[in-house]
Amino acid sequence: MAGNASRLRTHRPPRRRLTEPAAVRWTLTAIALVFVGLFLVLPLASVFIEAFSRGLGAYRSAITEPDALAALRLTFTAAAFAVPANLVFGVCAGWAIGKFRFRGRGLLITLIDLPFAVSPVISGMVFVLLFGRQGVLGPWMVEHDLRVVFAVPGIILATIFVSFPFVAREIIPIMEATGTEEEEAARVLGAGGLQTFFRVTLPNVKWGVLYGVILANARAMGEFGAVSVVSGHIRGETNTLPLHVEILYNEYNFQAAFAVASLLALLALVTLVIKTIVERRAAITESPGDPVESSEWVSKSAA
Amino acid sequence: MGIEVRGVTKRFGSFVALDDVSLQVASGELVALLGPSGSGKTTLLRIIAGLDHGDAGSVLLAGEDATARSARDRGVGFVFQHYALFRHMTVFENVAFGLRVRPRAMRPSDADITRRVTELLELVQLDYLGARRPTELSGGQRQRVALARALAVEPKVLLLDEPFGALDAKVRLELRQWLRRLHDEIHLTSVFVTHDQEEALELADRVAIMNHGRIEQDGSPDAVMEQPATPFVAAFLGSVNIFHGRLEGGAIRVELAASEIERMNLKAGDTLYVKPRKVAGR
Amino acid sequence: MIYHRFRTAAVAFGLALSLGLAPAHGQALLNVSYDPTRELYQDFNAAFIKYWQAKTGKTVAIRQSHGGSGGQGRAVIDGLDADVVTLALAYDVDAVAQSGLIRADWQKRLPENSSPYTSTIVFLVRKDNPKAIKDWGDLVKPGVQIITPNPKTSGGARWNYLAAWGYALKQPGGTEAKARAFVAELFKHVPVLDSGARGSTTTFVQRGLGDVLLAWENEAYLALDEAPGKLEIVVPSLSILAEPPVAVVDRVVDKKGTREIAEAYLQYLYSPEGQEIAARRHYRPRDPKVAAKYASTFAKVNLFTIDELFGGWQKAQKTHFADGGLFDQIYTPGR
Repeated sequence: MAGNASRLRTHRPPRRRLTEPAAVRWTLTAIALVFVGLFLVLPLASVFIEAFSRGLGAYRSAITEPDALAALRLTFTAAAFAVPANLVFGVCAGWAIGKFRFRGRGLLITLIDLPFAVSPVISGMVFVLLFGRQGVLGPWMVEHDLRVVFAVPGIILATIFVSFPFVAREIIPIMEATGTEEEEAARVLGAGGLQTFFRVTLPNVKWGVLYGVILANARAMGEFGAVSVVSGHIRGETNTLPLHVEILYNEYNFQAAFAVASLLALLALVTLVIKTIVERRAAITESPGDPVESSEWVSKSAA
Repeated sequence: MGIEVRGVTKRFGSFVALDDVSLQVASGELVALLGPSGSGKTTLLRIIAGLDHGDAGSVLLAGEDATARSARDRGVGFVFQHYALFRHMTVFENVAFGLRVRPRAMRPSDADITRRVTELLELVQLDYLGARRPTELSGGQRQRVALARALAVEPKVLLLDEPFGALDAKVRLELRQWLRRLHDEIHLTSVFVTHDQEEALELADRVAIMNHGRIEQDGSPDAVMEQPATPFVAAFLGSVNIFHGRLEGGAIRVELAASEIERMNLKAGDTLYVKPRKVAGR
Repeated sequence: MIYHRFRTAAVAFGLALSLGLAPAHGQALLNVSYDPTRELYQDFNAAFIKYWQAKTGKTVAIRQSHGGSGGQGRAVIDGLDADVVTLALAYDVDAVAQSGLIRADWQKRLPENSSPYTSTIVFLVRKDNPKAIKDWGDLVKPGVQIITPNPKTSGGARWNYLAAWGYALKQPGGTEAKARAFVAELFKHVPVLDSGARGSTTTFVQRGLGDVLLAWENEAYLALDEAPGKLEIVVPSLSILAEPPVAVVDRVVDKKGTREIAEAYLQYLYSPEGQEIAARRHYRPRDPKVAAKYASTFAKVNLFTIDELFGGWQKAQKTHFADGGLFDQIYTPGR
């Protein structure tokens, strides 16, 4: 996932003609198509088919039912916190890691990857262990009547945790690749720290930031495991869209479950479309110049 | 005095990059820092600019101690080896940057900025490329944009790090001559770093030859060529062949020293081949 | 645009605070329950809200949380602010009590062992009962596939397991050894162990796996409604009396000041109205009058209790379901 940004910045090699025999080409293409059809198109299509299996009216009532709307609101709320939080953190961390060498840098990179490495269920349990009644901070929180787990703040925290690495992961490679010369140039020209950051550093990584935000948002809205652990499953209150889908499914309400699931699928599709647009615009407006020069820079700075 | 460096020492871990270096650059002078890679010349340039700080010693700019001042407040123009143009800005905005980031009270009006940038782009002969982005320019054009950008803030001192290093030979020569003419016009105190002795000898008023973090010799091009102060200087400059001769009726009659004839073991009737990369004159 | 985004975040933050931090001023109850009671409490809550309004003139909101019984108990221990718990097993309520949230004598505070309704384990088979399954003994006939969830993770599955054990024990000449052999044989007929009761029902009804599903009686009726004309319920000669317990969470109601309403809520489960609702949702009512009224919908079955055959939940849990217990000894996956 982290490699996407660097892919987005490299030149496409000139198209060469395939030299493999036709049979091989066709077989490989067919395998790819069958695979895509079987594992991507078919399941997605079945979600929508089941969602509309009892007509448009049933679909509409499934997604406008109060619990579904509450779940939708909560999902958006969680994303509305998680995405800006990760934007700020990701840009700061990416900047520190990408532009500076300091003690503990390797540790910080590993820590950022932690939410990718641990199972989401564990991530949720960490918060229960921390903020639960029997947790480290639990007694203090009970005393002060503060609710974190089994309430909205816990869901927001878990969502921030699982979507944590996306922005930082996207911009670290870009920050590293651009080096520090432009910042130095800005400083010599009289720019202050903030001017340098907002006029030089940030614009250079803006596509990476946007890309990271899109991915973080997708994860934030789709997360199930971690949120499930801290949710408490209070109907109409602490159920996000994915949790609501599970509940409907368990109530034998398959059509409604798939109707709500189709909302999530739509969110995912919108995300993909935006992602594609971002990639294309990034490729057009930020063609990174001749790659020879950048590789030269790397070799010079290494020497 | 334009620039004065007093006893600057700089270590990177156990590596001594600069060892008690002192250097004086008179106002309006063009000085070359010449030396092999790792000799400390770029470090010295960065310390003058305030991009690095020495462990000991001081830097004076226009007679004032600037050691504690940040790069931001030193009023120097710096041309980076790879230009470090702001890739997301147009050529025009690159040149205007130094003016736009000034505190409000000192910031010129938009009209003034436009006028100044246009003048500078005319000076570097790129006024027709203002709307382009750096990635759309050739190496020589980028170099000239970097120069215009550095000059835009009206620096007291211009510092250039390997200004021609990333250019191909032909462009390098043109740009070198152009830069010399520019310097003769505006008389800005300038220091440039190079590892190419031809470049240093041809362009600079004075050459400081560096090795292992020390200045081995500091003098005019003729002085360092004629009287190398140390074996290192002699060896480092030794690969340049200098032919003394007289210009007679449109042709140069070259005289070869007896020692050279002996060294090359020339006998009567032999033909002398010289395969220079280039013949320069001054 | 940045300002706009900031405002959105501020609004959202306010919303989160109000939802997450605002203490309920006695106007809302949280009932933490297990999976199959969703439909029951949907009906019951509506009735109670009306009842409370009529009795005291106050409005009350009731929030529901459903999940696996054990996990729900765990969540309450970890801080889910349940005013009342309505779980599948006394064992799970005991666990909450052991954390100090519920007084140890909880089971004696309400009538009938604090179980306002009961259920039992029945068989769900395919239409016309093609494998001719009539009683527990038919389950281990060659070629019969049984669907039941995993007793290690599912409360319902423990009832299934203990029902089978109790049946074997109560046969003429039944001994512990014979019961153990019977249950071991039974689990050899289980092709897949889901982790929860609802998962097993879905496996049997939706995926069409297996010949017979061991299920809660109410769960079996629900499945019958879901797939009309495709399934039949078979009631065995003997089964276990499942007593899902309810309790007020003392520590929470005392803090929130909701004790009065929480106790009234659980009492109302024992009222004729509450009992009717339970009966309509296929839970066996305790009230004799209501039981008589709905007698026709509940098949006659001889029931034994967990206390009489297994010495209570604590002991049954330790003997049968703890790590290295009897279930671990008789069940080897993949056989």
